[in-house]
Amino acid sequence: MRTRKSKSVGIDRRAALKVAAGAGIAAAGGVAFSRKARAATTLTIWTGFPELVPYYKSVADAYAKTKPDVTVTLLSSSLREMEQKLSAAIPTGTGPDIFDIGSGISIKFIEAGLLDPNPADVDTYLKSGAWNKFTVDWFTQKGKTHGLPLLEGRAAMFYNKAMFKEAGVANPPTTFGELMEAAKKITKFDATGKMTRAGISMRLSGQGSGITEKFRMVLEPAGGQLIRQTASGKWHNGFDNDAGRKALQFYVDVVQKDKVDDPKIPHDADAFANQHAAMLFREAWVIGEIKKKNPSLDYGVVPIPRWDASSPYKGIVQPWGMYVNGKSRQKPASWDFVKFLTQPQNAYQLTAMTGWVSRREGVDWGPLLKETPQFEVFVKPPANIELFADPILGPWDEIQTRIADRLPGMFIDPALNNNPAKVAEAVKSLATIADNILKQAGIYGTT
Amino acid sequence: MVGRLVDASNVWARDTFSRGNWRLILFCYIVLAPVLALFGYVRMGPIVSSLVLSFHKWDLINPIKPFIGWSNYAELLEDDNFWLSLKNTAIYALLTVTLSTLLAVPLAVFLAAKSRLSAVYQTIYFLPVITPMVPMSIAWKWIYDYNHGILNYVLSLIGIPAVAWLTDPGIALYALIIMGVWKVIGYNMILLLVGIRNIPSTYVEAAAIDGAGGWQRFRYVTLPLLKPILLYVLVTSSINAFNVFTQVYVMTLGSQSAPGQAVRVLVFDIYQNAFQYFRFGYASAEAVMLTMIVLGFTLIQFRIARNKEGQDG
Repeated sequence: MRTRKSKSVGIDRRAALKVAAGAGIAAAGGVAFSRKARAATTLTIWTGFPELVPYYKSVADAYAKTKPDVTVTLLSSSLREMEQKLSAAIPTGTGPDIFDIGSGISIKFIEAGLLDPNPADVDTYLKSGAWNKFTVDWFTQKGKTHGLPLLEGRAAMFYNKAMFKEAGVANPPTTFGELMEAAKKITKFDATGKMTRAGISMRLSGQGSGITEKFRMVLEPAGGQLIRQTASGKWHNGFDNDAGRKALQFYVDVVQKDKVDDPKIPHDADAFANQHAAMLFREAWVIGEIKKKNPSLDYGVVPIPRWDASSPYKGIVQPWGMYVNGKSRQKPASWDFVKFLTQPQNAYQLTAMTGWVSRREGVDWGPLLKETPQFEVFVKPPANIELFADPILGPWDEIQTRIADRLPGMFIDPALNNNPAKVAEAVKSLATIADNILKQAGIYGTT
Repeated sequence: MVGRLVDASNVWARDTFSRGNWRLILFCYIVLAPVLALFGYVRMGPIVSSLVLSFHKWDLINPIKPFIGWSNYAELLEDDNFWLSLKNTAIYALLTVTLSTLLAVPLAVFLAAKSRLSAVYQTIYFLPVITPMVPMSIAWKWIYDYNHGILNYVLSLIGIPAVAWLTDPGIALYALIIMGVWKVIGYNMILLLVGIRNIPSTYVEAAAIDGAGGWQRFRYVTLPLLKPILLYVLVTSSINAFNVFTQVYVMTLGSQSAPGQAVRVLVFDIYQNAFQYFRFGYASAEAVMLTMIVLGFTLIQFRIARNKEGQDG
């Protein structure tokens, strides 16, 4: 038995050695082969927009035609997960060469010295007229630019033409008063009093900063701001005032007094595409959703109404940038790719493929608008819209999210219905939340 | 038999140590060392790190972590979200643990009786335990849907009007509790079933010969002998209930979902502070508080069970 065992072990060892040697040769050959076949430069891109992956691949393929020695690898996840991944990876030097991200995270990297200011050629390119002044300013921090603009989240009002026609409403509303009147005519209930069609689909439930972001689409036209910067550079809430009260009152009326929306019925892009709602404030990607879910839907897209005839139109804009990791070993190659990515032909492709809008100047949008005229308000917005964007501040997301925690409860609180004093009290409590977060961050001030 | 085993182990221990057989002891520790090292690194390390971090201010990105003493804890005590999540978590834990245990006991007693279908029922009740939480939460989101959910449809058949299970702030937490009970009842039932089957039949038979009825046999024989298992069920269920997170996260995602505040629980609040606001020191302080609360509850449960045991004994 022992002899057999020993023999068996000997055979195993020999076999193992042979296998190991073979594997080693194979691996070495493989490495050599792959080295030969592999491009000299591999750029890694991380994106928080999984829907952009086909676009990135397409651009990478086009880039490879001019730069065959460069390959691109992609990693995508949900936006929130990507924020976490990048926050852990960039400081530890394990991040990608290139990434797309919003200002809430990019500002932290910039403040921590993890993102270099743009190289001179990229800085010149950004300021060359390829983007409008608003966008260039947004990418400028303390006189230095960081990153290049990739896409822009710009909201507009989607409206269902067939429902408007059926309710006898000739044109889309241009003021919030008109909007409410149209919504009241369009909203439908069944015999039990259950709402079956919302006049407008507002963001009324759930959690997260999106609730406050949508609230700002009413607050800003009403004349308020979530936070306001003082002359000395400090910040304080900008809605514990008449505008803030009007905005919250509007939501309360939508749900309770005028009953043109109800948290219980379907909401958002799905509800609009499936004709559960007649109006919706949303970004251009909804066009893609409608194409997929209900391509025959008869709808239009116009700017979000102004508060009244004497107020300006206001439009929320959220630029998203492409950044090169400050710890990347391939910065010149990375910047070259990012510059290629933002060329007009690729900017066009971004919108055509994903529904996300690029604000790159010099793009011929003709073919896209011929096919999908609803894009017009996004790619060629009227000049009379006053734009507003997220302030580039570390605690911004916390301010929006903490206010969003409270808003859904307020929208449906019966105590706020027809009760301006209670509405004012509620607005004050929200404003205190914003101010407290600013105080904790050491950036609160009123002068 | 048990007494003999205990004696034997005492004799083994006495002999081993009295002979100064340190080589054996050393061997045991060497064998255990890799596992202990891994446990220390994977489990204890993060706990100690969290404790240390709770006295610092850190945003994950900035390499500078200033020491701020007890500030995070002081701020926590004034944070409305912390108190709200503590309240919601306590309600969730209390009701989930109580209901799932109370319902699991009769189920276990019923399934302990020899029946051909017993194994089938056990499998059915255990299925929710092995189903991953994320798809299950999404399925429950559909079940709870106000307009098209099966639950409201069933209620409508008996004339009950539709309930806004998720979007009504007064109901959303209870919807989560129902789902939580459904999820753990099978696990508790299996543990209790094992406990019941391990009770020597001689005790139950003796009670029957003495004239005890079914309820009396359960009350005075089965239940007292089941106490160690019940304690285990209560402790593990409480720990799990205090750590509720995934279903809250899934059910508050999107526009057609539960209002965040109505179902805010501690782990969700910790997650938000850490991974959304990047306030890792503050979130660590909250995590330390949660650990202390769960530890406190566990010790109280052990103390009550021991006192009861002492009184019964």
